[in-house]
Parts: sequence; C-alpha cells; structure tokens
Amino acid sequence: MIMPDMDSLAHPQERRFNPYTENGGTILAIAGADFSVIAGDTRQSEGYSIQTRYAPKVFRLTDRAVLAVNGFAADGNMFVKKVKQRLEWYHHAHAKDMPLRAIARLIQTMLYARRFFPYYVYNILGGIEEDGTGAVYSFDPVGSYEREACRAAGAAQSLVQPFLDNQIYFKNQEAAQGTSHPSHLPLETVLSIVIDSFTSATERHIEVGDGLEIFIALSKGRTLQGMESIRGLQELTVTEDGERLFVMRRDLKKD
Amino acid sequence: METSFALTGKGYVIVAADTTAIRSIVKMQIDQDKIKELSPHLLMAYSGEPGDTVQFAEYVERNIRLYQIRNLYPLRPAAAASWIRRSIAETLRTRNAYSVNLLLGGYDTSSHTPNLYWIDYMGTVVEVPFAAHGYGSYFALSLLDRYHDPEASLEEGLATLKRCIDEVSKRLVVDPGKYKVKVVDKDGIREVEI
Amino acid sequence: MSIMEYNGGSVIAMVGKDCVAIASDLRLGSQALGISSNFQRIFPVTDRVYVGLPGLATDVTTLRERFRYRVNMYTIKEEREIEPETFAHLVSSTLYQHRFGPYFIEPVMAGLSKTPSGGFKPFIAATDLIGCLNFAKDFVVAGTASAKLFGVAEGLWEPDLEAEDLFETISQTLLNAVDRDAYSGWGAIVHVITKDKIITRTLKGRMD
Repeated sequence: MIMPDMDSLAHPQERRFNPYTENGGTILAIAGADFSVIAGDTRQSEGYSIQTRYAPKVFRLTDRAVLAVNGFAADGNMFVKKVKQRLEWYHHAHAKDMPLRAIARLIQTMLYARRFFPYYVYNILGGIEEDGTGAVYSFDPVGSYEREACRAAGAAQSLVQPFLDNQIYFKNQEAAQGTSHPSHLPLETVLSIVIDSFTSATERHIEVGDGLEIFIALSKGRTLQGMESIRGLQELTVTEDGERLFVMRRDLKKD
Repeated sequence: METSFALTGKGYVIVAADTTAIRSIVKMQIDQDKIKELSPHLLMAYSGEPGDTVQFAEYVERNIRLYQIRNLYPLRPAAAASWIRRSIAETLRTRNAYSVNLLLGGYDTSSHTPNLYWIDYMGTVVEVPFAAHGYGSYFALSLLDRYHDPEASLEEGLATLKRCIDEVSKRLVVDPGKYKVKVVDKDGIREVEI
Repeated sequence: MSIMEYNGGSVIAMVGKDCVAIASDLRLGSQALGISSNFQRIFPVTDRVYVGLPGLATDVTTLRERFRYRVNMYTIKEEREIEPETFAHLVSSTLYQHRFGPYFIEPVMAGLSKTPSGGFKPFIAATDLIGCLNFAKDFVVAGTASAKLFGVAEGLWEPDLEAEDLFETISQTLLNAVDRDAYSGWGAIVHVITKDKIITRTLKGRMD
C-alpha cells in the first residue's frame, strides 16, 4: 500500500488546468487605395518545439474579406469557424455577403461575448469595403477594434510594427521640398514590404518562419497592375461585380 | 510625503524642500531644514530613509568642508556631484547602503554658471535644468516642462516654484505643508520666503 | 519591475563601408517618469572607439569611470592606444568579474581597428550583462527597445553603406524603434566613425 506522506496530508494542494497556450507566428495586413494585403507565416510552435510547418493563420471569409488570426491556435481555429458560420447564416438570410465593416462589428461582438473567458487571439481583418476602398481592421482579444492602414500582430509584432511605421506611414521621414508622402502605396511596393517584413522577422525571431501566405483582395475594376511579376499567384474567387481574391505562397527559412 | 524641487535660472539655482518630518502616520516636526549648505556656493536638498538622510548629509558636509580646509578652495559643483555620487554608488551593493535622494544646486564661480544635479539613492547623477524628488515630482515636472525658462529672473523663477508648491498642496493626497526655499547665485547662499 | 528597464534607454551600432556608427536615445527615467532628456550613455574610449552603456543609469556612470581608468592604465603601460578588439575583451572581463552580482549594463562597442597594412577595418561588438561577447558583422542592439531595433535594422540595413548613408540608416532605425518603446526616446545622438573624422549629430525626436 502506498502511504501518503504527512506533508501532502497536512497542506491543502491546489491543482489548476491552464486552458491557454501561445503558438507563436506573426500576421500582418496593409491596406491600399483599392486593394488589401493580408499575410501570415505558417509555422505553429509550442515552446521550443515546432508542431507543424504548415498551419494556416489567414482565412478567406467572403470574396472580399480575409481574416488573419494569431495567438492560441485552438481558439483561433474555433473562432474562425464560428465567424464563418455566422457569415453563412447571414448569407442565407440576406442572399448576399456581409459587408466588411459589418464583419468587423460582428467580430467585436463575438469577442466581447467572451469577455470573461476570452478567445486568446489577436485578429486582423482585411478586405474591400462597400465603397471599393482597401481596408484593415485590427482587434484585441476582447474586441476593441480600429480601422487602420496597416497592422502587425503576434510574436514578432515588436519587430515588424516600427518598420511599418517607417515604410508605410513614413514616420520620422520628411517629404522632399514641395511634395508630400502618399497616403496609400502601390501594390508592388506593399508586397515587397510584406515579404521584407517576414524575412526580417524570420531572421530574428525563432517562432516565425517556414512558409508565408499572402492574400491579396482587389477592388472591382482594378487591373492586375503590380502583380505581373509574381510567381505562383493563385486566384481564389472573383465576384460578379469583379472583386478578385488571390493568394501567393513563399518559402521562409526553416531554421 | 516628502517632496523637494529645484530649478535653474539666469545666474542662480533655487532649491526647495518641505519642512515636515513624518514617522508612520504622525507629524513629528513641521520646521525641519532638509537643505544643507555644503559650501559658500553649494546647496544640497536631501530626502529618503530617516536616519540615513541626516547621517549621509552630515558626512558629505564634513568632507566637502575638509576639502576646502585642505586645499583653500571649495569643490566646484560638478566635482562635488561626482564625489557624492561615488559615496552613494560605492555603498550601493553593500549591507549599509544609504537610501538618500539628493538635489545638488550650485553656482560655479569659475565658469559663472548655475548647475543643478539630480541624484538618486542608487547613485544616478544627471545634470538638469530643473528637478524634483518624491511624490511632488509627478506634479511638478510637468509644470516645469511648461513654465521653466533658463533665462528667467529670480522673481520669475520663484513664481514658477510657487506654481509647483501650490499644485502639489492642491492635488497630492497629503499636503507636504510648509517649504524652505534657498537660492544660490554669485553672491552665495540665502534663504527666501515665499 | 525589471532592473534592466528601471531607467530605460537603448543603443545600436552598425557597420558600413570603412566606417561604423553608434547611436543612442537620450532619455533617463525613473520607471514611467521621465527625469532627463539629455542623458549621455555613449562615451569615446579612444579617437576610433566608442562604447554605449544601456541599462541601469548608476552603473552607466560607474562602468564609464571604470573603463576610463582601465583604458588609461593600458595606454600608459603599453604606450599605445587600445584596439577595439582588445577593448571589447577588457569590457567582457570587467563584467565577468562580477558574474554573480553583475552591473546591470549591456555594453555596445563600435570602432575602427588597425590592419597590418596600415588601413582600418570596421568593428562592432556587444555583450550581455555578464560579458558574453557578440561580434556581429552587420549590427548590434541593446536596451529596452532591443526587439524593435532588431526588427527595423534587419529591414533597413544593407552591406557597404557610405558614412552619410550609414548615418541615415542608423538614425531611421533608432528613431522608429524608440517611438514604439515607452522607456526609450526623448531625443537621440548618433556618432559615425570614419578613418579621418567623427561625425556627431544630435537628433530631434518625438518627446512623448
């Protein structure tokens, strides 16, 4: 017979289940005048172990909305599943896709509904608004959100966001005499900034790497200008109005 | 709630410290002088652990005096700041570290400039145009950011100091009470009433 | 509360073509409260070597004085100026002497070292608070904004930058990194070391 030692009998012991983990990775989205780019790496890790080199963090919601989810992967996947379910119900009820700004508000409500047992995820929603402009919405885990021109989140947020401040918002840069900084950059520039951001983050952050998935949402009537030279570009959907959604994949370092 | 302020102006430094001695919840004294006159052109406001403060201030006072006796001239403010910092820093990682925060204001009679040094209990020293220690610093520093002028006359400097004192008595939970204010300039040290 | 973050501040050094640069912010704080916007934490060691000391401010002064003393002793005994590599090892051994009760500083060094042919070779290095040396070929960072500095520097830096381009690169890296760090900022200073001159510039930055 195993005798319980007197110590453990004398003191009450507390055991707790921790319902959360962090699965690394980084996501990033940048809005253009008539397009939106949403990207994420595909590494999923726990501590120092890589669980998989391909776990998508960026998901197509509608033909004009893409959601990137980062943090606790199990919560992220479940959250995306629930958002997609709500969007399907919306489609059945109204016979159209939910507009982007409405999806943003829906996400806020869904996150805040779990205010006291939150989905441990940072969301970035990108896509095309009803007026045809490119948009990025960023959220905290309990639903605070804001429309922005660009946002990085996740493990390498602190590495990428100040780089974006400099390259997208032109922070600490003076425009040349008689000129001003553009409020939106061309797609070609945006794509190279996104790729540079992820190669940099991969270089200096152990939880970032393996693969890169970039979704590109184009407003209706926009030409493929700036995308000619992209290899392996895959068109996902095209709406009746002419809004188009693409995805491109790139390898990142695997070490 | 010990509080001390100091600011530089055109050819002078003003140093102010509250005069209340507190132990636990009790006011023990309301007219304590927490500003030492180290040499003819050097002032030092001290605050921190009771016991350490006076002990350390007197140690500094005697050593600065000793230097003056030996060399027939006093230490300049920058040199005094360095020496005082060392005294704190060398005891920092021992069992008898001094928990004393200082504001060292002096008039350099060689370069004819007012100097002010912010010194904390770890031996951090930085020369500043204005400074504060204690809870008062959270109110005073923002006021000084707005109103401090390195070219201000003594009257203007005292008016700015008055703003700080008034703001602290208005907004801090426990009013530090009365202040002692001393000025150092080319003519030496004098106490002023505000 | 971390001792390394008590006073705030960050330093970065970069290699260019026949030149190096070292830069720092100017903030000294007491946790969230800003005390000074003119706290120098980069110091000249010789005409061709600079050292930056981010970390606990009291140890900035203590180490600066210690390094000055040891470098002066070296110069007197050897009758020549110390080389950056040698200085890096001096820094490392000084810090390791306090292995179990360290100075809370992570030094960053930048300089030009003499080559046998009489030329100069860019040199940068950094150590952790107990003196573990890191001789990087591109750039080194330290301080409360180190993660941000890594991200921006990795994006902006490229090999063989000329002095003025290196100045722009290091300035932009520092400014944009410290703007995302609450404990760093309040102005900045940059030194670019070339074989025949040192360019020192104080930068304006966001004051929030």
